[in-house]
Amino acid sequence: MRTYASPEFALLAVGFTMVVGIYVVAMLDHVVGGRVAARPLLWREIVAGPARSAALLIVQRRMTTERTDTPGWMLAPALFAALAATALALVPLGPDLVVADPETGFVVFSAAIAFVMIAVFLHGWSPNSALPLHGAYRYAAQALSFQIPFLLAMLATALPAESLSIVEIVAAQESAWNVVRQPLGLPIYLVVGLAVSFWGPLNLPDGADLAGGTSAEDSGIARLLWQAARAAMLVAIAAMGAAGFLGGWWGPWLSGIVWMLLKTVALLVLLIAAGHLLARVRIERFVVVAWVLLIPLALVNIFVSGAFLL
Amino acid sequence: MSEERLVDVLFWVFAIGSVVTGYRVFRTDSMVRAAFYLLASFAAVGGILVLLGAEFLGMVLILMMAGEMLVMAIVMVMFMMNPAGLNPMWMVHQHRIAVAAGVVAFLAIASLGFLVDFPDQPNARPELATEQLGIELLGDSMLVFQTAGVALLSTMAGVVVLASRRGRYGIADEGSEEPPLQPDEVDLLGEEATP
Repeated sequence: MRTYASPEFALLAVGFTMVVGIYVVAMLDHVVGGRVAARPLLWREIVAGPARSAALLIVQRRMTTERTDTPGWMLAPALFAALAATALALVPLGPDLVVADPETGFVVFSAAIAFVMIAVFLHGWSPNSALPLHGAYRYAAQALSFQIPFLLAMLATALPAESLSIVEIVAAQESAWNVVRQPLGLPIYLVVGLAVSFWGPLNLPDGADLAGGTSAEDSGIARLLWQAARAAMLVAIAAMGAAGFLGGWWGPWLSGIVWMLLKTVALLVLLIAAGHLLARVRIERFVVVAWVLLIPLALVNIFVSGAFLL
Repeated sequence: MSEERLVDVLFWVFAIGSVVTGYRVFRTDSMVRAAFYLLASFAAVGGILVLLGAEFLGMVLILMMAGEMLVMAIVMVMFMMNPAGLNPMWMVHQHRIAVAAGVVAFLAIASLGFLVDFPDQPNARPELATEQLGIELLGDSMLVFQTAGVALLSTMAGVVVLASRRGRYGIADEGSEEPPLQPDEVDLLGEEATP
């Protein structure tokens, strides 16, 4: 029988993780951005800054465009947040400490990632405005390109475990972490992870070159929810990366939860630093790299790790 | 709420949800909305599959449909003279025939639910349903699935070849070229510019 937490505990745990995770992403973004730009960092700004920005967005006046698809526009941030919650619920903090451990955890996680493109497309399509629509089309191209390398890179982690369950994927890394056994997996996963939550160099749908892209027409609480959902998805990507490639709860001296949190924060810092250090990639180039470079590399990764197991 | 009751409630939510969203596909006035309603309908069917114990099949259905419906929406918008699918349009042609065909097909499929003699001894939920499915797919049924896979792949390649032969600037095998950008080289009557 597989592990499932009770609904009350699941809601509480996932909700708490999302709120804390989103706040940590906002703080890290401020700190890393300040470091890169050599700005002076004040504790007051680091700790209270995200709350102040959020409060500002909550009281901001809502703007709207002409003839919108209102249900779709309202649904998009909620769907995105729900997908981030689904992904987070699958990540185990310890051998028995997981909200949901279905037999097909890897497939559920992939389905959540695949539905992000629906949320982003809906978010860009429904305001009935040109720049958001451009962003939506860009993300469609981006998402269809990263989907296959993502699936292949994650699938390779299921091979040593001989299971699609995330808990068993982590449990199978006791002797060696997947980042050692499959050195190509983590880099591919991180590139794709940036693309999934459209962060930094791969923020093509919401980029500044489109005046905010799919969220160009967002204002007030809708903008806050969209940004929060995006940050929550980044946390889910980092946590799943720590579980799938960095050995999850395995590690000497410290307890499993501490290791899991440390690895997640390390990957988060890496992803957020990439956002501040790397220039934005053009969508054409990303599509070509995904199909011509990432898919063959992911296939090599899966063949090599499969051959070692024979 | 007991687990059986929860499964019952979820079944009815998914069942009614899939029928209602399936109906909305034809009643909405936009190609993109129609594609997303169809996606919702498929996702509900995937939920029913998970309830039936076919966890892997249900989740894979949901996973695959996300990409497929998005591609379908974009391709429909590309082929229709309707910028970005933002203009309202009818989603059905030949209304009477469409309604009659829809009702007949629905009744024919729904009647199966009453006519088929379903087994009344509930089977125990298999512990390793996913593993059994994998052994079936790559064991006895491998030839069938590989044949279907190759057939689908060649269909896709063929469709791309057929669709891309005639491009915006002429037929591909006759050498379609973009018109030159310099205004003095463009023939204003719209005939091909001579190099």
